[in-house]
Amino acid sequence: MIKYIVRRLLYLIPVLLGVSFIIFVLFNLVSGDPTAVLLGKNATARQMAELREQLGLNKPLLDQYFDVVKSAFTFDFGRSWATKQEISQMIIQGAYPSLTLTVPAFVFATILSLIISLVVAFYRGKGIDLFVRFMCIAGVSVSALAYILFFQYFFAYQLGWFEISGFEYGFPDFVPFIALPAIIFVLLSLGPDVRFFRTVILDEIYQDYVRTARAKGLSEVVILLKHVLRNALIPIITYVVIQIPTLILGALLLENFFSIPGLGGITLNALNSSDFPVIKAMAILSSVLYIILSLVTDVLYTFADPRVKLK
Amino acid sequence: MKENSLWKDAFKRLIQDKMALASLVVVVIYSLIAVLAATGLIASDWAKEVGASNLPPSAEHWFGTDIFGRDVLAKVLHGTQIAMSVGLFTSLIAIPIGVILGALAGYFGGWVDDFITWLYTTFSSIPNIMLLISITMILGKGLFAVYIALGATSWVTLCRLIRGEVMKHKEREYVQAAGAIGGGHFRKLFLHILPNVTHIVIINTSLQFQFAIKSEVILSYLGLGVQGEPSWGTMIDDAKLELARGVWWQLVGATAAMFLVVLAFNLLGDALRDSLDPKLKGK
Amino acid sequence: MKGLVLILSVLLTLVFGCSKQNNFDEREINLVSPEKISGFDPINASDKYSGNEAGKVYEGLFEFHPLKRPYELMPNLAASMPEASKDGLTYTFKILKGVLFHDSPAFKDGIGREMKIDDVIYSYKRLADPKLSAKGWWVLDDKIVGLNEWREKYSQAEATNYEEAIEGLKKIDDYTLQIKLKKPYPQFLYALAMPYTFIVAKEAVEHFGKEFLNYPVGTGPFVLPKFDQSSMIVYTRNPKFRTKYYPSEGEEGDDKLGLLADAGKKIPLVDKINVYIIVESQPKWLSFMKAKNDLIEIKDVNIQQTLTPENELRPEHKEKGMRLFMLPMLDVAYFAFNHENPIFKNLKLRQAMNLAYDRDGANKLFHENTAFIAHGPVPPGLAGNRKEFKNPYSKLDLEQAKKLLAEAGYPNGKGLPEITIQTRNETVARQQIEFFAKCMDKIGIKINVGMNTWPELVNKVTKKQHQMYTMAWGADYPDAENFLGLLYCPNQSPGSNGANYCNPEFDALYSKATILQDSPERTAMYEKLNEMAALDVPWIYGFNRTDIYLTQAWLKNYKVMEFNHNQFQYLNVDLEVKKQLSKKF
Repeated sequence: MIKYIVRRLLYLIPVLLGVSFIIFVLFNLVSGDPTAVLLGKNATARQMAELREQLGLNKPLLDQYFDVVKSAFTFDFGRSWATKQEISQMIIQGAYPSLTLTVPAFVFATILSLIISLVVAFYRGKGIDLFVRFMCIAGVSVSALAYILFFQYFFAYQLGWFEISGFEYGFPDFVPFIALPAIIFVLLSLGPDVRFFRTVILDEIYQDYVRTARAKGLSEVVILLKHVLRNALIPIITYVVIQIPTLILGALLLENFFSIPGLGGITLNALNSSDFPVIKAMAILSSVLYIILSLVTDVLYTFADPRVKLK
Repeated sequence: MKENSLWKDAFKRLIQDKMALASLVVVVIYSLIAVLAATGLIASDWAKEVGASNLPPSAEHWFGTDIFGRDVLAKVLHGTQIAMSVGLFTSLIAIPIGVILGALAGYFGGWVDDFITWLYTTFSSIPNIMLLISITMILGKGLFAVYIALGATSWVTLCRLIRGEVMKHKEREYVQAAGAIGGGHFRKLFLHILPNVTHIVIINTSLQFQFAIKSEVILSYLGLGVQGEPSWGTMIDDAKLELARGVWWQLVGATAAMFLVVLAFNLLGDALRDSLDPKLKGK
Repeated sequence: MKGLVLILSVLLTLVFGCSKQNNFDEREINLVSPEKISGFDPINASDKYSGNEAGKVYEGLFEFHPLKRPYELMPNLAASMPEASKDGLTYTFKILKGVLFHDSPAFKDGIGREMKIDDVIYSYKRLADPKLSAKGWWVLDDKIVGLNEWREKYSQAEATNYEEAIEGLKKIDDYTLQIKLKKPYPQFLYALAMPYTFIVAKEAVEHFGKEFLNYPVGTGPFVLPKFDQSSMIVYTRNPKFRTKYYPSEGEEGDDKLGLLADAGKKIPLVDKINVYIIVESQPKWLSFMKAKNDLIEIKDVNIQQTLTPENELRPEHKEKGMRLFMLPMLDVAYFAFNHENPIFKNLKLRQAMNLAYDRDGANKLFHENTAFIAHGPVPPGLAGNRKEFKNPYSKLDLEQAKKLLAEAGYPNGKGLPEITIQTRNETVARQQIEFFAKCMDKIGIKINVGMNTWPELVNKVTKKQHQMYTMAWGADYPDAENFLGLLYCPNQSPGSNGANYCNPEFDALYSKATILQDSPERTAMYEKLNEMAALDVPWIYGFNRTDIYLTQAWLKNYKVMEFNHNQFQYLNVDLEVKKQLSKKF
């Protein structure tokens, strides 16, 4: 097991090399000279040349790539070119609002979807199954932008149930600020979640062991909750855990419209100002998370199903 | 032929499912509109000024007019063409890449598998938004860049699914048997295994379509979408400024058009899976 | 299931129970910044919004009078307006005594010390420090004797030596500074009112190091102990602020508007300022309508919600006591041709395109008729813009346009390649070009929209890879030089002349005019330059836009101000009115 974990962690090395390479090629080689943007509307050619030198853009490409790789493995991202802020601080400050929005919404959406899926699986093929599935899919068929525009106008402004925009630190102060975006987040997650969970649960329901259990006279509810859910847990865990890295980046649209100062906005600003160190940091951070979390999923498998052996 | 009856069977069941049938009809109608719009038979005059700016819906203009006095209905129809083409072309890009890489990885294993797994892990671990923005930066803006950007980011899921499925099939008797009678790798992979994983491609395509259509809206919000012609994305993006002044018809028009087709693709995807996925057979 | 219901009900009470109420006891004002603030280092405060934030904590030697128009400089940290030598090259500045920096751990015992002339010299040197690559360097670049040499000397060195004296920045005593200029620089005093030249304390810069940008330590009316990149910035009154009074005179009519009610009172007039960062226009507008903010800048779409077709405040806002402020801005919005592209060397083509642009239509659609058609590079309100001058090409005349296009060699657009106009990836920017394309279509010219992220646009323009692009230039200071420079050949890309326009006659007169002090002679030269540039149509002239602001009834002393980073100390709030009106929201 430990050997397996170590091997998987070592897998980070080639992936990080790949990520740094792609990011380097896309942003350093192709996207052009950032100095004009960084110096503002009255920049002089002289000053741009000086800044290029300072940022190390005159170094040989191989050296520049090596710098990217180095920061990928040391996690030392330095300072943002555009805001001159320390990137680790930016990430720490931005992660809090992003996560206060996405984590509760994500947990709530997952639990709610699981409950709904169990209910519809129980009533499979009946009217209620069709109706609930239809509603969930209908919910996700509306563009996020349309939800945001309408909900903000109606629930926050007209009815005054929520704050229109902004953010405050600390529980429960942030609740009125994140409630509405969180609700939108949940609405958008229900569709795909319920669809996936339901399929997985139905997969199990037609297995032999369920038939045996039924023959033994166990009630359908018990079978569903005790046997089916337990076996369906593996694919569900995979599906859930693999989504976690996307939570870190936050929900870009939601953050922008509800003025939540999270990582989504930081990333977008960085992309809009050629802020290469920040882009690099965000890409590396999310790929490290991705790898670690997929490892966590695999380890969780062994707990969910002792038959799975890691090798 | 066993193959044949499987597909026939699936199709039969699909037809019996009323919701799936309705979805299929919707998709066909949208495709028709898209083709008609692309050939210039309908909505070719979307750019024409037909009235004052921002007229509410009326008998003459069902969806009202936009800021330049253009007919919103014509724009929605033209947008249908854009949306469907985005779905189609991203699928055309993503499917071959996903299927070929997935099949190679699953079939050959070893270093081929290692390399391809590394490739898609790397790709999927970079936030999508960065790839989308940088690709549109490199290719310039416009529809073509949207196709490529969305295609290049959405092959990963399919690749992973196909790889898993091919791995499973590789060990099955019929493939072993084909090997025994002297079939080469190429023959085994393309003639025996791939037809058996087609259902994954079909299900995936239907979901790919709705993903692409929805992504176009986000790209338009970021100013990276279609340029110079109306798409649902640019219409919804316009609406973010119009809604507060009471101009709701452009938002409603584009959202409704999008809602219907995305819903149809989703339901169709579900129904296809229910009828095609062998695991769900026999329920 | 029971547990779930319980959790849900707790959540719901939390959500609906604690929506924040407005504050009626604290003397605070609530403002909005439509852009994220990246930090508080004055030398990088290049845009209006970071300047506004820096201006609450930092101060410069001069400031613009909050009421008088046209804009007039007055001493701020300076004790008086400076004495200039006859040749205009040597200035002697006296600064106020007893001005204290904010308390900060950077100082001994944490107590802010007195600001002295060394701080002024230090702050100006910082702007030139090659290690800092300040965005504001251009205001002193090649201006002060010895400063460029100092910058040059340390550009390759390990560290910059601030101890080294500079001839042009001479300390006479602790409160007197003599500045020697290399050449006449009539805009110099304006530069000393800009955020770039705000005075910082050496101890603070050294103590906080690279984190200095998050710990603003100034002499200003408000304090901010630490800046966090959040959705809100909270400033509190500086208890040790020097005695400074609200002005007792202003523009004619200010008295009637109640702008002189606080004359002679000690400022700042409020205890607290909250600045909310709201980027999207819908939440910004809705927050204002919920009375969460006291002041909002009205842009694009919100204009129609604010104004009646006659450009008056809509009755539903009037009823809530809101007040409307409109002032023509010192700015010019234009479509620039890239003159390095041989197509655009063709004067008749440029004229034809100017004549085909339906400015009235665009004004109606995008500005609700609040903008003014631009007739040249210099906006009205600056010396150099003659009111009577009307550009014959800043009007719609399709017949003439078609005729000129034919004479240019492209009858009905035949033979002319499609032209792509580059712009920012924003909704309104896209719509404006779509509208422009419609106009050009009428004479047979095909226009494409090129949308770009900001870095892409800047890159295309600085690398001269564009055919045309759109731009709106706002004044850095109230001097026509700031606008005419956009067409000065030596300023071409990567400088501010993104059109790469070169006209030797224009350049010769420009170099002569811009070194003159403000005088009738200079105004005449500026006028000539403006009209020369107008008739040669190096751009398609668009608009001089109007600043539109809406305030709540309880915000007092507000007056639209182009260079407004010092304005906030003069604002006041009437809590009685706020309490009464709040029922209406």
